[in-house]
Amino acid sequence: MSPVDRGITGRQPKAVQSALAVLESVARAGAGVTAKEVCEDLGLPPATTYRLLNLLVGEEYLVRLPDLHGFALGRKVAGLAGWASPAQVPTAAREVVADLRGRVRHAVHLVVYSGPVLRCVDVDPDHPLRSVEAVERHLHASAVGKLLLAEQPDWREVVHPRRMHALTPRTVTRPADLDAELRAVRATGLATQAGQLHEGVSCAAVAVRSPSDVLVGALAVSVAGEDAALAAARAEGARDHARQLGPLLG
Amino acid sequence: MRVAQWLRSPTIGQAGGGRAMGQRSVPSRLPTRSPVAGLRRRGLSFPEVLAQSVSALAPSAAIVVVPSIVLVESGAATLPAFVVATLLVLLVGWCLTQFGRRMAAVGGTYSYTAKGLGPVGALVGGWALLVGYAAVAMSALTGAAVYTAGLLGARPTPGVVAVLAAGLGVLATLCTVRGIQLSARVALALEVLSIGVVLAVLGVLLLGARGGPGSAAPVVDAPVTWGGVAVAVVLGVTGFMGFESAATLGVEARRPLVAVPRAVLWTPAVAGLLFVAATAAQVVLLRAAPLDVLTSPVPVAELADREGLVLLRRVLDLGIAASFLACVTGSTNALGRVLFSMGREGVLPARLGRTHDRFETPHVALAVVLPAVVGVPVVALLAGGGPRAVLTASLTVSAFGYVVAYVLACLAMPLFLRRIGELTAPAAAGGLVAGGGGLVVLVGAMAGITVSGDRAVVVVFLAAMLPGLAWTAWLRLRDPGRLRPVGVYDTATASSVLPGSVPAGRRR
Repeated sequence: MSPVDRGITGRQPKAVQSALAVLESVARAGAGVTAKEVCEDLGLPPATTYRLLNLLVGEEYLVRLPDLHGFALGRKVAGLAGWASPAQVPTAAREVVADLRGRVRHAVHLVVYSGPVLRCVDVDPDHPLRSVEAVERHLHASAVGKLLLAEQPDWREVVHPRRMHALTPRTVTRPADLDAELRAVRATGLATQAGQLHEGVSCAAVAVRSPSDVLVGALAVSVAGEDAALAAARAEGARDHARQLGPLLG
Repeated sequence: MRVAQWLRSPTIGQAGGGRAMGQRSVPSRLPTRSPVAGLRRRGLSFPEVLAQSVSALAPSAAIVVVPSIVLVESGAATLPAFVVATLLVLLVGWCLTQFGRRMAAVGGTYSYTAKGLGPVGALVGGWALLVGYAAVAMSALTGAAVYTAGLLGARPTPGVVAVLAAGLGVLATLCTVRGIQLSARVALALEVLSIGVVLAVLGVLLLGARGGPGSAAPVVDAPVTWGGVAVAVVLGVTGFMGFESAATLGVEARRPLVAVPRAVLWTPAVAGLLFVAATAAQVVLLRAAPLDVLTSPVPVAELADREGLVLLRRVLDLGIAASFLACVTGSTNALGRVLFSMGREGVLPARLGRTHDRFETPHVALAVVLPAVVGVPVVALLAGGGPRAVLTASLTVSAFGYVVAYVLACLAMPLFLRRIGELTAPAAAGGLVAGGGGLVVLVGAMAGITVSGDRAVVVVFLAAMLPGLAWTAWLRLRDPGRLRPVGVYDTATASSVLPGSVPAGRRR
């Protein structure tokens, strides 16, 4: 059904190679490269190049810049590379988090976002997460995951509705319910989960935004029990530190 | 408003302006917020996007009503001419996909035209598109009311139809304000119902068809003439109007650069198939029928009546009413979104660019549309216009509007591709042929080849175009700065590129 299936099948290795070559060419040339330049760079016929570019833009691996003739790598590319690259967190940012930990008695964690990927880069050493992998993978169930999903143009591209597994009885598994929740997240800049990832643990996360308003990370607090309001109240106290982190991470 | 001010800022003006092709594009800072933010983003699945285009086209109403009208005029030329009309519309659709694959617009062909012909061409096409959507909504509303009256067993007197039209119009508008997903799903359900009903009715009639030719046979099989071909092509093309309206869902569709072009191409393909098949069936049926059946308003329904299939006729009425109602919601959705775009650009009052906080629909634009869409047909009916005359006259006015919008968008396509340095020979040829073909259809329609057959509708159409043309001229002469943002679409934002690859702009 998808155009990838229709336009390029597994039996057309040449087309797949060309598409990847187009992607590489844009990556090499940098943001703003035009279709004509890609064409010249690769020596492909113009019509083929344009078709492949449009295909990659349709799938959001590439983005057309506002002038409509320049291309840049899309946020989906971060999803390809996100797991491999080690996240660098400036010392100044770690100090802000440490300062917050010194003031409160619950767990404080720092995550950073890159496109559709999140990484737990500074887990509270005194109250470690039960499973870093679970937080990074089950975005529909974790507070930091919901913050990320709320920022996506279409969260279904990051978490397929069929992969919304029920990790606990309280996990949100209906797309419509998650939709409603993400709307609230967008309005408040704060996401919560109460016993949705692991039973008996609640978590709330506040967004860290760069000076240009891009979501770059989140401060998460976790508390025992399944009370979302309590977690949210604790996270409200972290907003100041989240604001300080913005310029450090963005 | 703020967005409009931001759009008028010099960086965007530069980005939208023509730059020599092939020259390296310098990435300007990306905005953090889309200029068309506020609509519910990326929520509609492909069937729902398709439903928008299909409902605005109203295939089941078209395939029941149009073929018999054309058969009377064109005889044996009808079927081949409908194939030609389908191909022409497919070519127009293909031209529009060249835009649709590259930009996710809310203003449909209006926003597309802006990228090729600039603000003045866009506003002329955009106003024509508004007239098209509004007039077809009025026409469909009248149609829905007429057939609902039939269903309820009431005589479709102008008064009854006016009351029903007012009620149905309010209902349809509430649907569109409540949410695009709801109205798309309602339209999808209504369309599936009505197409199924029409096909079933035609099937039943074909099974019961008697052999011998009736008195209508000489008309149905009348020899092919050039005039007949022209009538059939022009009316055939007008049967597809509205197929492009998925192009107004650029923000709301999931994967819009894939879903919108596909809907714009699939809709005329499927509708064309239905159209040709239903026409073939009606040729067989009407050849065996008496002449007065052929000249009755809805021959298929008349046939069902004569066969004693009263229930079948009721079911058919239900199907057509459903299709008309879906057409009202589809056209109103599209109409509201074109106005919304103009509001966001600032060429019309910025209030039109507001969206509802909870429903995330352009509720102000939709609310402005309601009185016109309901009011005009109700007033026309109460003033003594026959329901059928109101229906066909507004349908004809809408066809003029659509064709003008299509012609401009098709001609804009090669210019747009040239500007971004992606023009190919097939695209240039396609744009010219589609634009030229559309122009021929327009001339034919202006010369009197219309569903209503009344020259007065040309005057009505021109009168409807006048405010838009005058406003465009005034802006061009007195306030050209306000024209600069024309053509807003869902631009790439800082969050849509690989983080860090393009500098982001400061927050407002």
